[in-house]
Amino acid sequence: MSKLLHAELFKLRKRGMTWIVLFVTMGIIVIINLLLYAISRIALSNPGSGGMSRMVNILDISASIPFSLSMLSSFGAVMAVILIASTVGNEYNWRTLRIALISGKGRVQLLAAKIISVAVVVIILVAVSLAVGFIMSIITNAWAGNSLDFSFFTASYGWSQFLQFWRTLFIILPFMMMGLLFAVIGRSAMPGIAVGVGILFLEPILTPLMRAAGGWVAEIPSYLFSANVNAINALSNLPRVFRFGGGSQQAPSTIEAYLVLGAYVVVFTAVAFYLFRKRDVTG
Amino acid sequence: MLGPNGAGKSTIVGMILNLVTPTRGRIEVFGRDLKDNPWSALKKIGAVIESPAFYPYLSGRDNLESLAISIGDISRNRITEVLERVNLLSRAKDKYSNYSMGMKQRLGIASTLLRDPELIILDEPTNGLDPAGMKEIRDLIPQLAHENRAVILCSHLLHEVEQVCTRVAILKKGVTLADASVQELLTNHRMMEIKVDDTEKALKILSGLTWVKSTKIENGYLVLEAPAENASLVNKALAEQGIFASELIQRNSGLEKVFLQLTGGDGRE
Repeated sequence: MSKLLHAELFKLRKRGMTWIVLFVTMGIIVIINLLLYAISRIALSNPGSGGMSRMVNILDISASIPFSLSMLSSFGAVMAVILIASTVGNEYNWRTLRIALISGKGRVQLLAAKIISVAVVVIILVAVSLAVGFIMSIITNAWAGNSLDFSFFTASYGWSQFLQFWRTLFIILPFMMMGLLFAVIGRSAMPGIAVGVGILFLEPILTPLMRAAGGWVAEIPSYLFSANVNAINALSNLPRVFRFGGGSQQAPSTIEAYLVLGAYVVVFTAVAFYLFRKRDVTG
Repeated sequence: MLGPNGAGKSTIVGMILNLVTPTRGRIEVFGRDLKDNPWSALKKIGAVIESPAFYPYLSGRDNLESLAISIGDISRNRITEVLERVNLLSRAKDKYSNYSMGMKQRLGIASTLLRDPELIILDEPTNGLDPAGMKEIRDLIPQLAHENRAVILCSHLLHEVEQVCTRVAILKKGVTLADASVQELLTNHRMMEIKVDDTEKALKILSGLTWVKSTKIENGYLVLEAPAENASLVNKALAEQGIFASELIQRNSGLEKVFLQLTGGDGRE
């Protein structure tokens, strides 16, 4: 298993897409921070606009980590879906799966090694992007002439951000496993990416519509992804102005959110392993 | 394994390599049922199935290195050795996606040699190659077999099998029609051409002999399929009935004719 994991990490390291995904995620974090800086400047230069009181804390360094994590729970999920679906799906596209399978290792070990290696890359991606977000916050604060005060960085703050880091990874996991499942079902990278990314973007659009419909339809979003993702994201110390999507009165509790997302992870993973192990490798 | 497209050659290879699950029957590799412990058998097998497939974004060397890492206990020197063996060392750092078909096939063979397997399976290894590439691969296969290992070659190219293999199994629609050494198969299916005055009578006499597999009249000659060593018996049988052959020619039928005879004159599905 360790040899397979080593081989998978070797391939990921040598692959251009891994680096592109990493740099694109970092780029998004940089651009968003620059945009926030620009918006805050505009808000501060127009005191009468009413936005100043809300925008003044945009540059707060203490908000940069939870803010980056909140963004990474969506962008990171997109990148994780692309990574896992292409890592597994392209084995079918390139017909390299046969070589991997006849090298004398089991299918379960091979798929597990692929999942773990992508998970390692996703952890690195989130950690590096987080560091980039923090550095950008320091830079924009310096540009704005704010004093660089790090007194917020107490043990409890560090612990809460550490927990939120792992919560963010937990949020990414069901999307990642969905990408994996559909790549295995479709025996190609494209179905995994299309379904994973499609649901990530479509669900937040459909959720308010289902809520508005009322009755039993309004209950459905509680068992989908975005409501549960928002419930977990709400645990961060993020100022309310930065929170995406949350705040619904019908939002599930944190425990429910963990259970629902956890159940998705288990089901997607189990079905993916079953199909990967069971189906013949031909063509 | 010789057979037309769709005969089941790749399916058999897939089952040996644990890529395809047999619906019934069992597969023994190195004297052991594959079901019991497929990995112990697979460790001794190297295979290139249909056309070789590697990661296009990796170089030839990196492709072998990733394989070597997953197998374990394979040194970088061994990778260099196998690349040299298939004449790819000078292009080892080039991306696989830039390789020609011949180079891809050679990299496939190099990958099978990484752990010095006891059995190498090559499924249609000359597919898509130019004549020079085909020759290169066909020259390499007997060399591999002379290194104390078995090579199973799957092909639908009769002359390729005749040139390269010592033993042949002919398949059609998943059924083994023949399984013998190439020499034996050719000898058993040797044709005799006999020139006699009364071909009709001779045909009647020889058709009655149990070891004569087939008889026909072709261009005034009586053509029969019979073991080569029975030529004198043919002569004797005819002479006993007062027919004397003016010509008796042994004709090596070639694997192509054997194949067509066994598959009923039509190798296609």
